[in-house]
Amino acid sequence: MLKMTDVKKVFRTDLVETQALRDFNLHVGEGDFVAVTGPSGSGKTTFLNIAGLLETFSGGKYELDGQDVSNLNDKKRSQLRNEKIGFIFQSFNLIPDLNLFDNVDVPLRYRGFNSAERKKRIENSLEMVGLAQRMKHLPSQLSGGQQQRVAIARALAGEPRFLLADEPTGNLDTQMANSVMDLLKNINDAGTTIIMVTHDGELASQARRNIYVRDGKVSEVNNADISSPAQLSAV
Amino acid sequence: MSNIQTNTSVNWEIGPIFRAMLRNKVGAILIALQIAITMTIIVNSVYIIVERSKEMQRDSGIDNKNSFSLTSVGFAENFNAAVTVEEDLNTLRNLPGIVDAIQINAIPNSGSGWSMGLKTQSGVEHDAVGTAVYMVDEHGINALDVEIIAGENFAPTDIGLREVGQVKWPNKTILTKAMAENLFPEIPYSSVVGKTVYINDIDPMIVIGIIDKLQAPWVGWNNLENVMLSPERMDYKGSRYFIRTEPSQRDSVMKQVEELLANSNKGRLIQGMRSIEETRERSYRGHTAMIKILTTVMVILTIVTALGIVGLASFSVNQRKKQIGTRRALGASQSAIVRYFMLENFLISTIGVVFGAALTIALNILLVNTFGLDRIDWFYIPIGMVVLWLVGQGAVFGPAKKAANIPPALATRTV
Repeated sequence: MLKMTDVKKVFRTDLVETQALRDFNLHVGEGDFVAVTGPSGSGKTTFLNIAGLLETFSGGKYELDGQDVSNLNDKKRSQLRNEKIGFIFQSFNLIPDLNLFDNVDVPLRYRGFNSAERKKRIENSLEMVGLAQRMKHLPSQLSGGQQQRVAIARALAGEPRFLLADEPTGNLDTQMANSVMDLLKNINDAGTTIIMVTHDGELASQARRNIYVRDGKVSEVNNADISSPAQLSAV
Repeated sequence: MSNIQTNTSVNWEIGPIFRAMLRNKVGAILIALQIAITMTIIVNSVYIIVERSKEMQRDSGIDNKNSFSLTSVGFAENFNAAVTVEEDLNTLRNLPGIVDAIQINAIPNSGSGWSMGLKTQSGVEHDAVGTAVYMVDEHGINALDVEIIAGENFAPTDIGLREVGQVKWPNKTILTKAMAENLFPEIPYSSVVGKTVYINDIDPMIVIGIIDKLQAPWVGWNNLENVMLSPERMDYKGSRYFIRTEPSQRDSVMKQVEELLANSNKGRLIQGMRSIEETRERSYRGHTAMIKILTTVMVILTIVTALGIVGLASFSVNQRKKQIGTRRALGASQSAIVRYFMLENFLISTIGVVFGAALTIALNILLVNTFGLDRIDWFYIPIGMVVLWLVGQGAVFGPAKKAANIPPALATRTV
């Protein structure tokens, strides 16, 4: 489902060349829940950006849902992001001037759904995260945990194949973090593949599978749950 | 998933953009106001410029390119004006390169001349129609290059000699078509030939001819084509000559004439020699200056407005980098980001131009009532709206492109 083979990412400036990812190999199967941990600067976020087609990579091969995405143009990458990937960001990244309804609507509009379809999806996804009654509220009127739930609703409204979560509980207190984590586990149980970058070891332990990244490489794999619905492999 | 019904057309975000704008009104309102004021000034300025340009393009009726005028001022004690005029005209009319020459009391479009009132009935109780008066002899028609379209020219025997202070008028006149129609609106101009009109309330003049077109000296006068010709020469020490030359001979003839007349009679001065083109340019100098000033104001205003839009859009892009990165991460293509900012500007511009249309009409009403300008033609308003829309779209395109280049990876960074 997501397969990276010898993926490299080099950041170059006039003076410095930094290898953010080097020979990065990873295979994530359908329905998996992978937690990616590692020290700061290890390449976690770079991996997430490349996995989410937010950034291009310098070498290697990346197949997403069976499609080689190595040489796609920006338009095609945008389309794939919109159709196949849902993002959850550490600081929620809700648009402050839009109410919850319009926030969840953003990716659906890029998808080109008609208004009735969008409305149905927005209502369903906000219902799922328990915020259907507040869809006319602005993000600033919600708590951090609620805002992250809205972000999750936005990510799920398009029914993506993957959820990519970047420190999804990083800005939340423990109670809210647990609540969000429970929500993610439920989503995963319903069949959505999740890749989550986190610093939090306890949180990572709740994933089916843990990947440890160091110096731009996958250095350790822990298949926490062998009953994972997918065949997992990491090289 | 693949069976979900989707729109094939571009999904415009008018609703969300508008709602978001309502939550950040100040910048948008200021720009909309600037657009409205710019439109108001530009549309009214363009209208004034077009009207002034049309006035400047009006056909004077005479041969502007090949004509010139001069003044002969006698100062010697024994200066005989009538004889000098006769000699001068004989000299001029026989000079190679000159088509014809006349003595005339005023030069068309020069800003200085005579006016009288003509009536269709004798008596002070009747209304008069104002007219410019040109005193010319039988060569007037040819020298001025006007055409008799009804009736006939003056005969040499019709020409009188006007003394200084004389109040008596000749008994014949030639009118322009416009003057004939103003005096006798109920009959065709050709039927005006043979009619009697009254000058000085009671002095009769018979209309013996109608000419196609001739303008009065005063370019700002509403009845510019109300002109009568009076068959007279003037026994004045100061005498104006109007001279028409063969095509492209004007400048060389002017030099020759100045020298010739100055030498032919040492008891007078030749002065004020200028082409009719220059005379007209001097008369329309106010128009020209106004056109230049208004054009400058329009250009500056347009630039300031465009820069305002660029500034607001650039500020908005910088403020919303994270948001733009997020939109890109959520699937917005670069063109969708450009479209977003163009659409946002379009909405602001729309508010501006709608308000601007109302302001434009209000300013025009004020100009009509205060300065007697004509009412603006309706089509200036939609054209102005489109122009301001285009200015807005052009100005926002750069910042919008810049926004589109914000990478989606910015969504995962702390900015």
